[in-house]
Amino acid sequence: MIKIEDFKEFFKSLDQTIIGCLIIILSTGLVALYSADNNQLNEFNTQIIHIILGFFVLFIVSKTPPKIIFFYTPFMYILGIFFLLLVKFMGYEVNGSQRWIDIGLMKFQPSEIFKLVLPLMLAWFYQNKERTIAPKIHFISLIFLSIPFILILDQPDLGTALMLSFSGLVIIFMAGLSSKFILWGFIITILSSPLIWKNLEHYQQNRILSLIDPFKDALGAGYQTIQSLIALGSGGLIGKGWLNSSQTQLNFLPEATTDFIFAVYSEEFGFIGVIAILSIYIALLLRIFFMISKMQDTFSRLASVGLLISLFSGVLVNLGMISGLLPIVGAPLPFFSYGGTSMVVSLVSLGIIMSLYNHKSLIAN
Amino acid sequence: MQKNQLKFIFEKRLNALSLFILLMIFIVIIKFFYIQIIQHNYFEKKSNNNSVKVVPIPPARGIIFDRNKRILAENKITHNLEIDPSKKIDIEKIANELNPFVPITKNNLAQYQRIIKNNYFSSTVPIKTDLTEQELARFLTNKYLFNNIFLKTRLKRHYQHKELTSHVVGYINRINQRDIKLLTKNKRLSLYRGSDHIGKRGIEQRYENLIHGIPGFEKIEVDAKGNIIRTLEKKEPIHGQDIQLSIDIELQKKAVDAFGSRKGALVALSPHNGEILAYVSQPYFNPNLFVNGIDHKNWNILNNNKARPLLDRVTKGLYPPGSTIKPFIAIAGLENNLRVPPFQINDPGFFTMPNQSKTFRNWKRDGHGQVDMVKAIAVSSDTFFYGLGLELGLDKMNQTLKAYGFGHKTGVDILGEKKGLVANKEWKIKNKKERWYAGETVITAIGQGFTLVTPIQLANATAKIALPNNQNYISPHLLLNSNQLKQRNDKLYTPPPNKKNTMSYIKEGMEAVTDSGGTAAFLKGGSYKIAAKTGTAQVFGLAGGEYVEEDLPEHLKDHALFIAYAPAKKPELVVAVIVENGGSGGSAAGPIAKKVFDHYLLSNQ
Repeated sequence: MIKIEDFKEFFKSLDQTIIGCLIIILSTGLVALYSADNNQLNEFNTQIIHIILGFFVLFIVSKTPPKIIFFYTPFMYILGIFFLLLVKFMGYEVNGSQRWIDIGLMKFQPSEIFKLVLPLMLAWFYQNKERTIAPKIHFISLIFLSIPFILILDQPDLGTALMLSFSGLVIIFMAGLSSKFILWGFIITILSSPLIWKNLEHYQQNRILSLIDPFKDALGAGYQTIQSLIALGSGGLIGKGWLNSSQTQLNFLPEATTDFIFAVYSEEFGFIGVIAILSIYIALLLRIFFMISKMQDTFSRLASVGLLISLFSGVLVNLGMISGLLPIVGAPLPFFSYGGTSMVVSLVSLGIIMSLYNHKSLIAN
Repeated sequence: MQKNQLKFIFEKRLNALSLFILLMIFIVIIKFFYIQIIQHNYFEKKSNNNSVKVVPIPPARGIIFDRNKRILAENKITHNLEIDPSKKIDIEKIANELNPFVPITKNNLAQYQRIIKNNYFSSTVPIKTDLTEQELARFLTNKYLFNNIFLKTRLKRHYQHKELTSHVVGYINRINQRDIKLLTKNKRLSLYRGSDHIGKRGIEQRYENLIHGIPGFEKIEVDAKGNIIRTLEKKEPIHGQDIQLSIDIELQKKAVDAFGSRKGALVALSPHNGEILAYVSQPYFNPNLFVNGIDHKNWNILNNNKARPLLDRVTKGLYPPGSTIKPFIAIAGLENNLRVPPFQINDPGFFTMPNQSKTFRNWKRDGHGQVDMVKAIAVSSDTFFYGLGLELGLDKMNQTLKAYGFGHKTGVDILGEKKGLVANKEWKIKNKKERWYAGETVITAIGQGFTLVTPIQLANATAKIALPNNQNYISPHLLLNSNQLKQRNDKLYTPPPNKKNTMSYIKEGMEAVTDSGGTAAFLKGGSYKIAAKTGTAQVFGLAGGEYVEEDLPEHLKDHALFIAYAPAKKPELVVAVIVENGGSGGSAAGPIAKKVFDHYLLSNQ
């Protein structure tokens, strides 16, 4: 017989604030998904399985001692690189880019895995070199960052690659990179931007151009942005009501269940609904910042910051994309968009943060 | 130490990082606010445009009836094969594919190209109109082969009396650039959404705003692929009003038959109320040719024809009035106390102007002997009117002519009516750069000067003699429906008051025209009396030479004119006839008028 104390013991490792926020965001996401999927239950049911699976892994990870996570980090990194190479040679294409891999049991996107693995790997490296912080160390970190970056860019998946490198750069920054380097980095990036522009694929250039005036090529590059803006704008203050989004129900909005699910939500629940759900995301963000500020060792702090940035760059890029601030890059909204890899990865990153927070320090266990 | 320092940097930067992310979220919120609150109306409209399409439902044109409710213009259901020209299509290829099932001729293709050039309101353009039942059946069974060909059921205007009503009822044609401009100017363009046709001539043109109607619409919701999901709203069109004309199609037919192959015009109207019963302009054309856009071949035949079948002679044909002007000159004389019976002159067969050697001949060489006003009208004495005209002077003659409607539009409900010409001295200086000669006043009195009249003006003026009841005068018109009378623009003006006996002398004279000795004596007898005036208008300046009708080519022969009313004592019908190149007025035009009177007065009882 299971006692209540056993449950308490089991759930002790879970952070109540985070779980509370998650329940609200996930259930809202399911409500939006039901509508976005044209009231069919296919993706809705599958998404529930994703969530259950994600929570299962989250529980396990949150109870896993950081020492073990720390120990396995380099292996996971190497495995991740292996998967990326596998995608390059064996993966299959969706919408013109090769991001998926089928490992029999399930299909998944290895690039998403790096949202977990890269922060851990960089944190692991800085933890090991704790006593010899020098520019050289930062440079080596940059190489750890570059390998998956280049492989993902090659798929091509510019959005994920950029978000990944952003979280990596933030880790290097948080690890104490001197302000001088940061300044130079900025200058070099700006100076090399014409070169970067030239090396972009034509469709990527169009997407950036269509940001300036999406209506210029309304049926081409600007189409998705326009339809998304129409969904948002026509939703207004209070929205059109659940299942009443004409943009979605009449299939004007592309990728309604994945990248553009928040546009569906905004059309149906309006600005009030947007503020409500963003408040929960902010609460989640602040809670994690608080947790990080209590962490003691380099690995925990840097890994948590990296995971947090991975998560919230996803949120910001997705919201920026559907509101026309950023080009269409194909970034799901964490906890909201339909998709197994993204859901599990997002939930697991919270699980890791909980584990690191609960144990406070690598050695404490 | 280094470790603590790093921790310090980390904490400092963690705060900065949290602020940075919060700032980013804040920017996103601002952007959402801007889109969802500030730009809400704009995007709401966009959203509706996305999913809601408004499809106009064109109204059916009103039916046009004659005075006895016989149909003159109606709508027939036809089936067309149509194509959406906004889609990229190879018309030749489609024609070839269709050919085994529905033959597509060169004419069909030419018609398609013609329509597409002037297509403004239709989403689809016909490649084949008026499918036969076999063609319809063949197309329907093979419909699956033709994804981008639409079978449309449309209403096609049909004029069942064809040539008989070509000038009065007119026709509709497809809307062109000029129509668009006009409709835009009149703020009526929105009424034509979904319509292809507009009235171009005759009554169809004049009462377009009554006949056309108001389009309805259907608001439909479509998905991203354009499939119709459901109808959100439907407003039925208000069909065009039916129009009843004063025309009597039987009488019209009689008049046309009486003309035979001759050119000219005839107007028959009721002096009581100005209702036009027959409106004939010869030659004519088949108005049905125009309905879907006339093809080049037929257009060239009509347009290059020297007989000018497209000219509506009733309101736009300008003719010298010849002797038909004399009753009105006579009115001017009597009103000015000149030649009041029993005053007589001697008509030696010519008139010499005082102090000049210039001589004007009478049409009858040896003259008419002793002539008073009544006889002058009956025998059409030129000599009598030469002298009268000179004595009256141009201004007094013109005053009366204008009072009887010459020189300005009668206001008949047909667009483009000509004013004719009542020339004065200023007109001549302006247009001929020459002063007015007294001799021109003399010939004006017998209708051979610069004066030009239309057949409708002649009928209108004759009606004023037939029934000189100034108060009840109503100008000629075609529209009969009493609830639409406001649309008609009747001109209600009053001729100057006549001296007590003026009209009785004029009437006596016109009655004598059909008595023995009159210029239309052959019309005497019968069960009713016709009062008339004949006229002959010179087409060819004889320059003193001899006019021998048989020797002249057809197109240089004189125009024959004839104005009449009957029964003389109780006028019921006024008829004005012009037979172009008909020769002498009485013999050519009189019998035509007689047939119209016979039909109206004898068979209608």
